[in-house]
Amino acid sequence: MKKISITLTVNGQKKTVEVTPNERLIDVLRYRLDLRSVKAGCLKGECGSCLVLMNGKPVKSCLILAAEADGSEITTVEGLGSLNKPALIQKAFIEAFGYQCGFCTSGFILLGHWILENMPDASEEEIKEILNGILCRCTGYKQIIEAIKLAQKWKRERK
Amino acid sequence: MSVLVFRTTLPRFEYLRPKSLGEALELKAKYGGDAMILAGGTDLLVDIRMRAKKPKYVIDIKGVKELSELKYVEGRGLEIGSAVTLSEIERSKVVKEKFHVLWDAVRQLADFPLRTRATLAGNIANASPASDSAPALLVLGAEVELSSTRGTRKLPIKKFFKWVKQTYMEPDEMITRIFVPEPPRDSKGMYLKFTRISVEDLSVVGIAGLAANPKEPEKRIVRLAYASVAPTPVLVEEVEEIFKHDKPVKELIREAVEAVKKKTSPITDVRGTAEYRRHLIEFGTAYLLNRLLEVIE
Repeated sequence: MKKISITLTVNGQKKTVEVTPNERLIDVLRYRLDLRSVKAGCLKGECGSCLVLMNGKPVKSCLILAAEADGSEITTVEGLGSLNKPALIQKAFIEAFGYQCGFCTSGFILLGHWILENMPDASEEEIKEILNGILCRCTGYKQIIEAIKLAQKWKRERK
Repeated sequence: MSVLVFRTTLPRFEYLRPKSLGEALELKAKYGGDAMILAGGTDLLVDIRMRAKKPKYVIDIKGVKELSELKYVEGRGLEIGSAVTLSEIERSKVVKEKFHVLWDAVRQLADFPLRTRATLAGNIANASPASDSAPALLVLGAEVELSSTRGTRKLPIKKFFKWVKQTYMEPDEMITRIFVPEPPRDSKGMYLKFTRISVEDLSVVGIAGLAANPKEPEKRIVRLAYASVAPTPVLVEEVEEIFKHDKPVKELIREAVEAVKKKTSPITDVRGTAEYRRHLIEFGTAYLLNRLLEVIE
């Protein structure tokens, strides 16, 4: 297999990595760049644990080859906020208890972030429609939806 | 190699990213069946991982500009390049207003993060009997443009599917565009998808319906096509004929249901039994026709 050199802008930082054609975006993000918020779940596009934002769009990184992502901008949860300075959506997830074991949480936080950025006034129905690409086996989804609605409310009040 | 590594990583292949259509076709001509086209990758990479497909070369067509266009010309219809994503189709106002059945099917296909990558051409090329877009394209009378270094041909979508995951494409051909002709004036369209759960899932039964001029028998156009009821997506051509007759609509609906039952052959699988599918076909067909022909709201 021919090695391919790719450049990604991950959470604002340029990274150049040598990959083989059969490496996926998740393999590079999780194992090469050590971004452990990108979880390997089903690895066939069903669970959504590996969701990241690629050029601002939510994608499942297990169904994208690393080579395909060359030149793109990637955002993972690590890029949203830190322990000391959590992003609005992360604060809302803590406040509304929108997580339990945490396995699916990074995907939901990124989707929540995408909703805040792109459809801040999304209705509960619209939120559910967007979230239906990720599976959670603990929370029953209710608190996750509550968390996103809370973040929407905070964002509106701030304005 | 351990079982875990074998099951979770991808096997070896070479990655090719042509910059023009000519280059892509040259590669397909050179490698034929050993090369597979990667558009969205949401089906191909799953099949590669599960070792259901074993390409030596993967040709990524997202760098080909000619294939990334979604165009609408009034009077002629839609032209959808094979690298156009389902999200782009879903966001298109023209598709939503004029090609409603296609829009309705696309918005119910897979889930939001997958639709940002998956393409319409990929959904067709994969030739799954459960394809949600295929029934919509069947009732709209779409055509698939197939290209190779030998030339270009157009195949009506009803002659495209051969069997489960098999098409009439030649090994050196690739889908370049999908043409969707202008639907009949004032037509209504709908895609009814029955699933086990209310979120992302393949259909137990999927039904696409298109209807125009419900009150005038000679001008009436009614078309129905199905997913997950046979080895390929099916257009039940008899339905259009039945609705040309000047009879009470309720009677025509009964005749159409009978015609559909004859043309479908559902099986039992993880998503439902053949018996349950037959029930859904009957109920869904009658419900969809009642809605489209304005018998019920």
